[in-house]
Amino acid sequence: MIERYLEQVSTYAGDIDGLINLIAWFVGVWFLVAEFVFFYLIFKFRHREGHKGEYITGEEKHQKRFITIPHFLVLVCDIFIIIGAVRVWVDVKQTLPPADATVRIIGQQWAWSFVHPGPDGELDTADDIKTVESLNTEVGKVYHFQLESRDVLHDFSVPVFRLKQDAIPGRIISGWWKATKTGEWDIQCAEICGIGHGVMRARIKVQSAAEHASWMHENSPVASIASAN
Amino acid sequence: MNRTNATLVRHASRALGVAALLGLALAATQLSAPVDANAQDETAAAVAVDPERGEKLYALCAQCHGENGAGNPMALAPSIAGLPQWFVEGQLKKFKNGARGTHFDDIPGMRMRPMSLWLKQDSDVVAVAEFVANMEKAEPVAILEGGDPEAGKAKYLPCTACHGQNGQGNQALNAPPLAGMSDWYQLWALKAFKAGIRGTNPLDTTGALMRPMSMTLADEQQMLDVIAYIGTLSGE
Ligand SMILES: [Cu+2]
Repeated sequence: MIERYLEQVSTYAGDIDGLINLIAWFVGVWFLVAEFVFFYLIFKFRHREGHKGEYITGEEKHQKRFITIPHFLVLVCDIFIIIGAVRVWVDVKQTLPPADATVRIIGQQWAWSFVHPGPDGELDTADDIKTVESLNTEVGKVYHFQLESRDVLHDFSVPVFRLKQDAIPGRIISGWWKATKTGEWDIQCAEICGIGHGVMRARIKVQSAAEHASWMHENSPVASIASAN
Repeated sequence: MNRTNATLVRHASRALGVAALLGLALAATQLSAPVDANAQDETAAAVAVDPERGEKLYALCAQCHGENGAGNPMALAPSIAGLPQWFVEGQLKKFKNGARGTHFDDIPGMRMRPMSLWLKQDSDVVAVAEFVANMEKAEPVAILEGGDPEAGKAKYLPCTACHGQNGQGNQALNAPPLAGMSDWYQLWALKAFKAGIRGTNPLDTTGALMRPMSMTLADEQQMLDVIAYIGTLSGE
């Protein structure tokens, strides 16, 4: 349903959409049922000549059934939602599958900057590739990220991945994704961070292995020095 | 409730509903105005500038640069009031096309770049630059310490070639006036030019001229001295 409006590009995007759908269905059905009951009662107890309002205390079991029965049914729905949510939470946020590569993502007022590991696959070495506004990745690889902030709270959001993670100054926050197709999509900031928040954007490029390797070779400071010699 | 009252209430609530809808629609056009209005191509030469537009747009700039344009070191925003229009226009265009504010270590520049992107059309850039140029010069707060203007005088000599003897700037050489520029910002700019954070982007051809000049200042003390000397200049 959601993917008709926004592509799913990470391995867990479907799980997150499934959870959103699950909640939407439960809540949607309950909304319709509740509205139906409300309008039915308004109609049933409408003003009519010769009918007087009746005062009831609402203590009798059969009087309370409009509350008790839905109450228990909602609790049953909650159990399904909790099971689904915990399952997705553990898979997406608590389990880090082994990384093929690690990137550093830095938020600041009002830009995203990125450190790519470069050809050697290690961060904080001479061949790291630093970029602003553009993150280059390879399709089908598990990426870990180290999310940092230079100033205030930000939130690294890639809508097509269904990924959202707060960046907190002073902390390094880990997470992961694995992209399922090549292309170029939006990165947004999803935590209000000052007047430029709405225009704090970047792009994520998911490239094929060959494309990514040549990008890396062209942009790594060490690789370009080596090829110039 | 009798019948007349009921009709009245019905009419009133309908009127309210219509008013609310109209209000929403109006608000929507207001919001989208800076983005969509006259979105067709404009050549810089044929730009019609509306002076009120510049003032309106400046409200956004005022958030960091201040109502009077004196700048705010806490927001990493330098003084801008009274800068020449050609310079403000040029810098805004650089921020817009990514010549500035796209370097990994350009922390103040990265704050300015997204703000410049609010100016969707060339006429907006011109309007706000004109407004800034017409602002009364505001004395920025001096926050640097330890600079010796006497020692800085000699070090300023190479700068005079472009920025002028009195720090007045020179449009023909793309050199902005230095007198009246926030001192902390001058220090940041010198360091940024020297470190290659500014003036290295291939699109920043005028900034590239400043880069070798920044190399003539050996260390931070020499920069502080020059900035202290610039602080004594009239800019006339
Ligand atoms: Cu942000």
